[in-house]
Amino acid sequence: MAELLQYLISGLAVGMIYALIALGFVVVWKSSSVANLALGQLVLFSAWFTYGMLVQANFPLWLAFPLVILFSLALGWVIERLALRPLIAQPILSLITITLGVAYFIEGVVTLIWPKSVAALPRFFPTQPIRIGPAVVSQEYVWVAGISLIVFVLLTLFFRYHRMGIAMRATADDQLAVQACGIPVTRIFSRSWMFACLVAAIGGILVSSIGGITYGLVETGLKAFSVVILGGLDSFIGAIIAGPIIGLCENLGGGYLTPIIGWAGVKDIIPFIIIIIVMIIKPYGLFGEVRIERI
Amino acid sequence: MLKLNNIEVTYLNVIRVLHGVSLDVEDGAIVALLGANGAGKSTTLKAISGLLHVEEGEVTDGSIEWNGARIDRKSAEEIGKLGIIQALEGRRVFEHLTTEENLLVGAFNRSDRSGVKPDLEMVYNYFPRLKELRRNTAGYLSGGEQQMLVIGRAMMATPKLMMLDEPSLGLAPLLVEEIYDIIRRFNTEHKTSVLLVEQNVRIALSIADYGYVMENGRVVLDGTTDFLSNNEDVKEFYMGLSAMGTKKSYREVKHYKRRKRWL
Repeated sequence: MAELLQYLISGLAVGMIYALIALGFVVVWKSSSVANLALGQLVLFSAWFTYGMLVQANFPLWLAFPLVILFSLALGWVIERLALRPLIAQPILSLITITLGVAYFIEGVVTLIWPKSVAALPRFFPTQPIRIGPAVVSQEYVWVAGISLIVFVLLTLFFRYHRMGIAMRATADDQLAVQACGIPVTRIFSRSWMFACLVAAIGGILVSSIGGITYGLVETGLKAFSVVILGGLDSFIGAIIAGPIIGLCENLGGGYLTPIIGWAGVKDIIPFIIIIIVMIIKPYGLFGEVRIERI
Repeated sequence: MLKLNNIEVTYLNVIRVLHGVSLDVEDGAIVALLGANGAGKSTTLKAISGLLHVEEGEVTDGSIEWNGARIDRKSAEEIGKLGIIQALEGRRVFEHLTTEENLLVGAFNRSDRSGVKPDLEMVYNYFPRLKELRRNTAGYLSGGEQQMLVIGRAMMATPKLMMLDEPSLGLAPLLVEEIYDIIRRFNTEHKTSVLLVEQNVRIALSIADYGYVMENGRVVLDGTTDFLSNNEDVKEFYMGLSAMGTKKSYREVKHYKRRKRWL
């Protein structure tokens, strides 16, 4: 029983982070229909950058965090400006491929600057375990889930009520019509990439504050893909619901199947098995926008 | 005032679609741009609104002036900021947004944020139907409602010149009249100039002050509404009326075709 609760709580917390990172996909997809394949690398890069600020440069927290946020926004701006903008109006496949290029480029930069492959961030959250019922859980998980949820709510509100958020959603529907309204679509794309990098950075900090910085962070990006595919490529609600589902399946499956199968890797393939099943049953995902067709 | 000076438009550097189009839209006037499919009407509008480059088109000759300043090299958003707003052909609403969100997108570029709410009411005043549907997903509105929404969205930008591309397309005659009434009301109440592209010549001339007839990328005839509605060629070729001004009877169809005078 205690074991189960523990799996549930850590699964939920990790799932929330996946959901948060998945937003980085949804935002870009919603405004420009480009699949952002560089998610995992963005997470990795910002985690290392945080390490650089906090540990190597030894900045205090209040200085390091704003710097990381600024850095992630700047990174998003630069990516859009240098990699994607020149390809506007080109076939969508080229744009998606360029994000893959960006991914490898970032990975290269990361190995260049931080050649060591693992590092640990200082602990930001109180570490003493708390008891929830019979389970003993590290307090960090609760903090992480809470922060993810807050960021999540803020973003959802932004997209629902802010004029830039509404314009981003409009751009996803019809780019030409948005331009006819006199709205600069380039600015919208640029903003959406800045957002993607921002959530990737927050997700990266949260993940690595628990598990340390490893190349496994790139996989977090992959997990986020399974979240968006399960939840629907263009749905925030989908991401917030699918994230914990993936996190739970992973933890519960990992916890209970590993002793039976005797192979620890089973944890990592569960999300992808879910993707395959979802694609067969619900191709738009749980909450994806079904193409509107009036007959 | 908008002034097109002998503009040429070329797509992909080879396909020339406009061969010297000149037209004027006086402040506060309604000007109709008439013609068959492929005459270059929509291209003319896109040349003005700066949307050509999206389709790899370019104004290769001539000039477009807005209140004396050239705008043919400007981007769509700069032109939008000047107050020239185009409502595209074919009821392109943002399908997954609600009616009200669609209207808010139209107001994106406005500097006076406080004016947005009253203007939302103004649009609902012109189109009471939209107010009932404000929370509905735009993609599921009927064709007429979507057309109202597209025009309302253009109104939200408080344009000085509103360009409408075939607002009557695919709508029932009664609805077309209603929409045209509203366009005229908006024009008189807000002194907004309107440049109207239409195939429905009769309805367009019913509200316009001046009209241009385009064929094959050229303006072949222009004049006041009275002049155009009484022109034999316009009547014969665009309104389906014979010289007598009565409906054409196909029983007495002549076996030679009337020659257009402007050719």
